[in-house]
Amino acid sequence: MSEQEYKEEEVLALASQGDRDAFGQLYEHYVERIFNYVYYRTGNSHDAEDLTARVFQRAMNHIVNYTDRGVPFSAWLYRIAHNLVANWHRDRSRKQEIPLDDLPILPTKGDHPERNLVRSQEEEALLRMIRKLPPERQNLLILKFVENMSNAEIGRIMGRSEGAVKSLYHRTLLALRDQLEDQNLNLEGE
Amino acid sequence: MSKRKMTHQPQEETMDALEAHLAGTLKRVTPSRDLVQRLQGRLQMPSRKEITLRLRDWNRLFLIFGGVMSGMLLLVTLARAFYYLVGSRPRV
Repeated sequence: MSEQEYKEEEVLALASQGDRDAFGQLYEHYVERIFNYVYYRTGNSHDAEDLTARVFQRAMNHIVNYTDRGVPFSAWLYRIAHNLVANWHRDRSRKQEIPLDDLPILPTKGDHPERNLVRSQEEEALLRMIRKLPPERQNLLILKFVENMSNAEIGRIMGRSEGAVKSLYHRTLLALRDQLEDQNLNLEGE
Repeated sequence: MSKRKMTHQPQEETMDALEAHLAGTLKRVTPSRDLVQRLQGRLQMPSRKEITLRLRDWNRLFLIFGGVMSGMLLLVTLARAFYYLVGSRPRV
């Protein structure tokens, strides 16, 4: 792990000097994570594609300004993604577009398409609820379940303590449970 | 005590079920290789020259910003002085 971190430091140093290959390595390392984050925050793959490209373009343009102050590079990238997604939501609300509630099911790791179809309705209901949560809570759930991050890792990215993340997670679950109860959705049937 | 346990147990079960559903719903998606390469193709890395120029430009930017602010301050001071000398004098 420490060797990897050291390597990332090296790659970051090279990338900040304009080394295309070094930035390419960073891109390869983080593109899937950022795409997933944006995909779950926007709810559609077309905008996720466009925003992911913009995240890396912005990162590339401003990488000279990135300074390692104990905050991981991934946190910096997620911050850029978060800001661009926030702008995207703002623009959409201004244009008053019909919200895209249907999240197209992209292939997930180790899943069969048939299984996706069977579960899609239930998943869609839950995803709709998740997207109605405040952005911070959505971030938390994405990092926890999509990225399988620990509370400590999430805390480093969100700039919160491990305890604060744990507490926020608990409150998020409670909020989701209340929403499920309001909509008479039962998840215990499995 | 037992009553408390009775009320908490279903809650915990609901939470566990909810967590299980979240884990099943929020799964990592894999963008196609084609998409990853297409996105990479859209990125345009600024050259080393541009980056060094941009860094030097910061110094210039600070100078310009400082100059503008000083100018504004001077204008405000002059306007206040003018008002003090002319504008606020009571008319007889």
